[in-house]
Amino acid sequence: MYNIIAVDISGRHKINNRYYMVCAAVSVSITAEHIEKVNQIKIKSFWMDSAPELTDIIQVIEDTAKEIEFGGTIITEHGEMYNQPERVVASMFSREFKYQESLGDRSSIELAHHISLCTRNLLLSELGIESR
Amino acid sequence: MKRVILVQRNEPTNDESRNIRKLIELHDLARSANYKVVGDVTQTRRPDRKYQIGRGKVEELALMMKELGADGIIFSNQLSTTQIYNISETCKCEVIDKFQLILEIFAKRATTKRAKLQVELAKLQYELPKAKAIMSLLKKEERPGFMGLGSYEDSYEQDIRSRIKRIQKELASVQKDNESLRIKRHEYGYSIVSLAGYTSAGKSTLFNALVDEDVHVDDMLFTTLLPITRALNICGRRVLLTDTVGFIEDLPHWMIDAFRSTLNEIFLADVILLVVDASESPGIMRQKLVTSHDTFWEQIKGVPIITVLNKIDRITENELKERLENVGYLTPNPVAVSAKNSLGFDELKMEIYRQLPKWKRETVSLPMSEYGMSIVSWLFNESIVHNINYKDRIIVDFEARDEIILKARIIEKKDKHGHNHMFT
Repeated sequence: MYNIIAVDISGRHKINNRYYMVCAAVSVSITAEHIEKVNQIKIKSFWMDSAPELTDIIQVIEDTAKEIEFGGTIITEHGEMYNQPERVVASMFSREFKYQESLGDRSSIELAHHISLCTRNLLLSELGIESR
Repeated sequence: MKRVILVQRNEPTNDESRNIRKLIELHDLARSANYKVVGDVTQTRRPDRKYQIGRGKVEELALMMKELGADGIIFSNQLSTTQIYNISETCKCEVIDKFQLILEIFAKRATTKRAKLQVELAKLQYELPKAKAIMSLLKKEERPGFMGLGSYEDSYEQDIRSRIKRIQKELASVQKDNESLRIKRHEYGYSIVSLAGYTSAGKSTLFNALVDEDVHVDDMLFTTLLPITRALNICGRRVLLTDTVGFIEDLPHWMIDAFRSTLNEIFLADVILLVVDASESPGIMRQKLVTSHDTFWEQIKGVPIITVLNKIDRITENELKERLENVGYLTPNPVAVSAKNSLGFDELKMEIYRQLPKWKRETVSLPMSEYGMSIVSWLFNESIVHNINYKDRIIVDFEARDEIILKARIIEKKDKHGHNHMFT
């Protein structure tokens, strides 16, 4: 069993000329195939006027993950980082980073995805913005 | 045997080790399809729209073909119809890509109706997006009149579409039969264990060693195409072990779809044995494990996985330890075995037993009569009898799945209330 921080960002598409994004970071203890324990969850919302670039995405993830009190490698899907090679992305982070590998990693990212998506939908409905 | 040259275009962003591994895999695939590899060419660059590799490299390739007396070219990258056309025009030979090569291997190995249907479906799905372009290139010379060509292309594409639909329908009916067979097996108290893993990991060797069978094993990729199932007894539990087709990296989704009915055999199992070749370097093991996890994801939900580290006879104990440290985070419930030398089978069977759907332990009291004995014999068939005591009554201590326990309880209850009827 080991700790990771699974991260997912929702809302990387334009709505009302803006990009309303929600980043969810989940600290979990996992095995190769399961999530054993959820340690902590942090959610942050961001908005941008232009499409986010790789450096913006990294900044968003770093800002969210630094609020997590538990250690662990940051894990995301390949698409989150515009399918850039792992070594390129990892060199841009100030902490350890890797793409999803095991079933445990994938389940954790799925959890982070549900959290960020639901939070974004709630925020958008609060703001009175159509989510589609 | 056809002589071929292998060509691979490497992405500038790819790791060198990954490129080498892919090329070795292509060598193995070509060998499995009965080709003799006379040379290989690699180039690192972004894809060229016309030739996939650079134009100069294609001309170099044409010269190399003449020098080495090769009859064909196999590309590691997926080629578009135009690229195939352009390269074969320059090199004056047959050009295929990795996926067509895999299809060739599958077609050669397919023996049953289901396998043949699956291969045909995969072939048609590969051909579909190219259908229009193929016709356009073939009928380049004859363009009679206004819109003369259009109807050719459309009807050819339509033909393929209708054939795909027909095969899918036929496969679905085969699938339904398998589905009911699987339910029946569960009803009869069998648990289903599937062997899965990267191609050439030694799944069939392990299968043979476990069930004492003689399934065809070869040092080639994709030796097993259709699932083979045999019964096995694991610590008293009746288990059906299924050998399946191996995974491969970058298999396009249409190919996975075509072989879904084969892969379902893995996904609907009670326990999955993920076989890994432990004699390979940790880096390669990691990549192959990631591919396996990738194939499993979204298909299996909560099915326990046992990682079988095979071929440990080829490595030392320290090397095994080192590999486990490196890839431990990708290996759920690891067990080290050597299928060739039958090493570690007891541990593997114990682990399978531990991961099988849980059976409960119960004690029932039956009358000492012919009827009681018939129940005992039924319990022996359907469960693991741990202890049996013949006194005034027969006390049976057994382990079984819920339905059997429930049935036994009803029989016991009815007997206590004086109902004595024949058990059927």
